[in-house]
Order: sequence, then structure tokens, then C-alpha cells
Amino acid sequence: MTPAPSDRALQDDVIRALADAPYRGSAEWRARRLADPERVERYGRFLARHFYYERLVHFFKYSRALARVTGRRPEAILRRPGFDALLPTAVLGSRGTARAVARLAVEYVSEADAPIPYLADLLRYEEAMMVVEAGPRKWRDSDGAGGAGSRERYPPEKVEGTLLLEFAFDLPAVLPKLLQPWTELPPAPVRPTKLLVARSPQGRVAVARSDAAVAAVVQLADGKRTLAELAAGAGLQASELEETLKGLVDLGAVRFSTGS
Amino acid sequence: MRDTELMVGAFYNPHLGAELANADGIDHLAMADPPAATDPWWPAIRERYTLLLHDYLGQLSEPLDERSIARARALAELYGSPWVAEHFQCLHTVDGAYNLNYVFPPLYTEEFLARFVANAKALKARLDQPLVMENIPGFFDVKASQMPEPAWLRCFFEATGVGFLLDLPHVWLQAHYRDVDPERWLAEFPLERVVELHVAGVEHDDDLKGPWIAPAEPSDEMLDFMAHAVSRCPQAKAVTFDAFSPSLAADVLFRSVERMRRAL
Repeated sequence: MTPAPSDRALQDDVIRALADAPYRGSAEWRARRLADPERVERYGRFLARHFYYERLVHFFKYSRALARVTGRRPEAILRRPGFDALLPTAVLGSRGTARAVARLAVEYVSEADAPIPYLADLLRYEEAMMVVEAGPRKWRDSDGAGGAGSRERYPPEKVEGTLLLEFAFDLPAVLPKLLQPWTELPPAPVRPTKLLVARSPQGRVAVARSDAAVAAVVQLADGKRTLAELAAGAGLQASELEETLKGLVDLGAVRFSTGS
Repeated sequence: MRDTELMVGAFYNPHLGAELANADGIDHLAMADPPAATDPWWPAIRERYTLLLHDYLGQLSEPLDERSIARARALAELYGSPWVAEHFQCLHTVDGAYNLNYVFPPLYTEEFLARFVANAKALKARLDQPLVMENIPGFFDVKASQMPEPAWLRCFFEATGVGFLLDLPHVWLQAHYRDVDPERWLAEFPLERVVELHVAGVEHDDDLKGPWIAPAEPSDEMLDFMAHAVSRCPQAKAVTFDAFSPSLAADVLFRSVERMRRAL
């Protein structure tokens, strides 16, 4: 006889049904008969719109501040057919759904063809932020194992989802200005800029400027190469590599593998 | 008979910082998020208002970890908050794979009651201010629940001695979707434990095909409901217009608080 699931497990099942539209439509969920399926479906759709409203307002805040030039607020996509079409396959918090929703916002704002030279770079940056933030997260310090404690024994590896982006404009120079009061569009210097976007296990997204050495470390850190191999590949001294790795671990871009 | 004067306030909405920094007629502001480092109005807001900590601290179906407790303590100290609020919510799965990012109630069972009682007691013991807990609406019943929400809440408050943050639109919505009279449903709750009340507007939602909480003015019916509820909450110290959204307009916030004050 199978033991009855705990109440906590039942609660997780309800949460999953609300967050995961394909599961909500599955025979497995429906057979449980835990709640009125029509009500659960309605609430799941409501939650999806709320979930992505919060993320669009947060991650697309710069193009939102530019709405008086573009005439388009990114979150308007939530009431358009493209978003409705996503709902049957949406999984709240998944990278795939984040990518699909962010793409809708990018396309919608881009269509305005506004005279903002750096708009394409900006939208790509915002899209990356939203996609990197997605994925399972550690809610409590005691959840899961791992971390950077074992760096003496195991080689470093890039954290899944970390992105290294190249832009034609120096976006960090203009971003804060967009959120301040302005009458004339703040300009962005034309300057090739590399940015690293990463996420901590708790879901905090961080961005840092990157140079060739940092980019090389991120690209080479595959969990197999030794510190010596990384230093050689990136052209860094051991002490420089140690410093670079410390920054990348703090950012959430690199972790020390557990050897498993 | 109430022994203290009621404070009437709202939530701090940073996009309305300029207006709130210079406003009259608002006694307190509830803080749903920590102030942004770039918020030019924060120093004036902090100087001017009683601030209530109303952030997401964690879900008490699990014990809060040290980092969350330290964060709660630091925010309560920063705000000088007279009490610390959390919600009766369980919105992410144990493994962290799914997260609703929206308040969602636990199953009303003995197992969840034991979890919330133990974890609220542990949090309360680590805070320098009283803890208050807010009721959360459910849009549907889960068949695994074992008791009505008001009975579950009563057991919780009796076991912990924690204060009750009574969200009135949540009660009103529960009554609406159960097709019962809101005042009759309200009477089931442990009103003698109420420290703070939340009031807000409700609007039709196309997905739900019915009313839900919205950053809108409370209706006259909701204000009457508030006056009725306050008259039955002898320990209540504050009533808060519960709207926190980038889409909230300044005139809606100020008119709502003014109408709430007049209705009390």
C-alpha cells in the first residue's frame, strides 16, 4: 500500500498545478481531484499574468522609462494575443517561458521604430536579465548543498544560464540616467562593451563589466579544467586568477563543482 | 471600546515618493520593499512617517533561516516599525522548482497548523517587535483542507499569541466566492486579536471572471464593511490602504485614505 502524501507534498502539488500549465492540463493532475479544475485554470492564468507583469516592470524598467519616446510600455504585451497564446504551455519561473515572454516585449517595443540609437542594445540587455533570473532557486540557506566551500579540491565551472554579452553602446553609462527625470533623451556613448549577467542561487541577478581575461575564464570554466589550465588559457597569474574567480563566484557566474 | 487612536495610512509606493513626502492626512506607511539606494525621497519619508515592516520575510510553512531573520531584524530597526508583518502563505515548493510569486494560502490542516505555529513562535522569539500575521484569500477550496480558514486562524493565534493583520478585501472575496454574507463570514474570525486592518478596492478580473484585489479605491460597500469590522476589533491600532503597484495613481491613494478616515 502506498503511504498517503504529506500535507506539504499535497500543497506542492497544488502549487505546481498553478505554476505549470501543461501539468495542470495533465491526466495525472486531474485524477487527483484536489480542486475544481475550472477555478484552478482561471487562477493559473491570473497568476501567470501577474508573475510576468512583475518581471516585465522590473527587468524592462529602462525601456519602460523610454515609453514616452517609443509610445510602448513593455508590459502591454500581457493583454495581447501573443501572451494569451503562450498560456497553455507557460511554466512560471522556467527559462523557456521567461525567454518567450521577454521576446514578446522586445518585439513589441522594437516595432515602434523609435529614434533611440541604443534601443536594440537596451532591449537585448533587458531580455538577458529576465532570462537569467529564471530557474529554480534556493529559498533558504539550508536548501541544497554545494557552494564555493570546496574550491581547494574541485575545478570551477560556469553556472548554467550565465551570459556574456557584447554591446555597441556603453549601456551602464546611460542606464541610471534613464530612471532620473529627463527632458532630452540621455545619450549612450558608442563604445564596445562586454557585460556579464549572472544569478545567485537565491535568484539575485547581477551584472558586471567584463574584459577579455574575465570572458576567457568564464568560457573556459567547464568544471574539468584545473586552476593552472584556466590561468594559462586566460593569460593570468595565479593570484590574478584567484581574484577574478572570487569576483565571479560572488557574482554567481562561476561555482566550484562538487565533483559529482 | 478602543483604548488607542487609530492610525490611518497607506503603502509606500516609491513612484509616488514626491507626493508622499509632502502629503498631509497620512499617519503611517507600510513598506513592502526596502528603499532603493537611488530613491531621493526615502530620507524625507523615513523622517516623516511611522513605518510598518510589511515585506516578504519568508513562508512560515518552513522555519526562516538565519539570513531571513537577520534581514527582518535589520528592516524592522531601519523603519522603527512598531510591529512586523508576515502572511499565512505557502507559495513555493520545498525544492524551489515552482514559485507563484503571489500570496497563496496553505492547506488548512493540522499538519500545516503545527508548522506555522512552530515557525511563527521561533520568528517571534527572534524579533524585538510583535509579530502580526495576515490572512490570505483562496480562489478555490482544496479538498485536502480539514477545517475552515477562520477556525484554523483562531487555533494559530491561540497557540502563538501573535497579532492578527486582518485583510478585509481578502475576507470580502472569500465571502463572495463562497456566496455568503461578508459580515457573517467576518464574525467567524478571531477579531479580538486584530492589530491592523487592510482596506483596498476590488475590480473585475478577466481571467478570474470575477472580482479580485486591485490598486483601486475601495467602494462605499467596502468602507462600510471596514467601519463594521473596526467596531469589532477592540485592539486595532492602524488601518492601511493596501495598494502597492507601479500603476497606482497619486489621486487614488490620497482620496482612498481620506475616504477611509471619514468612514471611521
